[in-house]
Amino acid sequence: MTVTFESLNAGDTIEGPGFAVSRDSIRLFCDASLDYNPLHLDDDYMKGSFGKTQFGGVIMHGMNNFGLISRMITDWAYPAGAIHRRLETRWLKPVRPGDTIRPSGIIKAKQVTAKSRWVVIDVVVRNQNEEGVATGEAMVEFPL
Amino acid sequence: MAEAQAFETDFWKDAQSRKGWDEIVPGEPRRTIPYTLTHEAIALYCRSVGETHPLYFDEAYAKTTRYGGLIAPPSIHIMLMFACTPADDWMRSPGTVNAGQSWSYNVPARPGDVIRLEARALDKFIKRERLFVVHDNVFFNQAGEVICSGRGWTIRPI
Repeated sequence: MTVTFESLNAGDTIEGPGFAVSRDSIRLFCDASLDYNPLHLDDDYMKGSFGKTQFGGVIMHGMNNFGLISRMITDWAYPAGAIHRRLETRWLKPVRPGDTIRPSGIIKAKQVTAKSRWVVIDVVVRNQNEEGVATGEAMVEFPL
Repeated sequence: MAEAQAFETDFWKDAQSRKGWDEIVPGEPRRTIPYTLTHEAIALYCRSVGETHPLYFDEAYAKTTRYGGLIAPPSIHIMLMFACTPADDWMRSPGTVNAGQSWSYNVPARPGDVIRLEARALDKFIKRERLFVVHDNVFFNQAGEVICSGRGWTIRPI
């Protein structure tokens, strides 16, 4: 069913893709994003504490789940002729090799401005234990 | 034209030349490098997050859409952030932890675009004994159009 601005209601849900995290997927994201921070690669470094933060092992890039959320939003918006305009995220828990994460969204509000129409979406990424690892808010524009 | 240069993947190599939290001046521009976005870079980024939409790969399809040709996914700024900054940029300090980000998207980035970044620290503060820096970033294409703008919060290594 094609999504239209008129047919959307607060509480409607959007399902994103599942994503299996592995050392290989993290390494691939290093190569794709050019972010080679040792947080994602170096087991020895991650045994230590830095910046008052201790993870105990390598973690996935936070921006990897930002990318997954964006993919969910665009895959939902493009068929409707809508445009992904904004995404804000905050990381709640580290994601590690062996985890499987999945973004989802709930429509929070619709608003019409002088020149366009907007949908605000609450976003969350959960791991295989249903724990939230990232939370955020997206805005999608449905041009007039 | 942007110059092609090998990307330094060893983030320890220039660690001593990067600014620490104490030296970062909010408002001071970061040095940046124009970058020509390639099909290959877009394809690699798409593979890393499972992007398969034909807008990013199928020229004939993309021409039939409002975009009139191939584009990169909005979140391509994730790779542009590092592609457009030199090896001594403080965002590459080992132990930099990303706490959150917000991005607004205007026109899409496209393969072949020569992309320019204007970036700076905007704020720094201490919270729960952690050293934070807020950074802001605006990416432009070769026509001077804003591609996207973003703000991020990082926890700096001590």
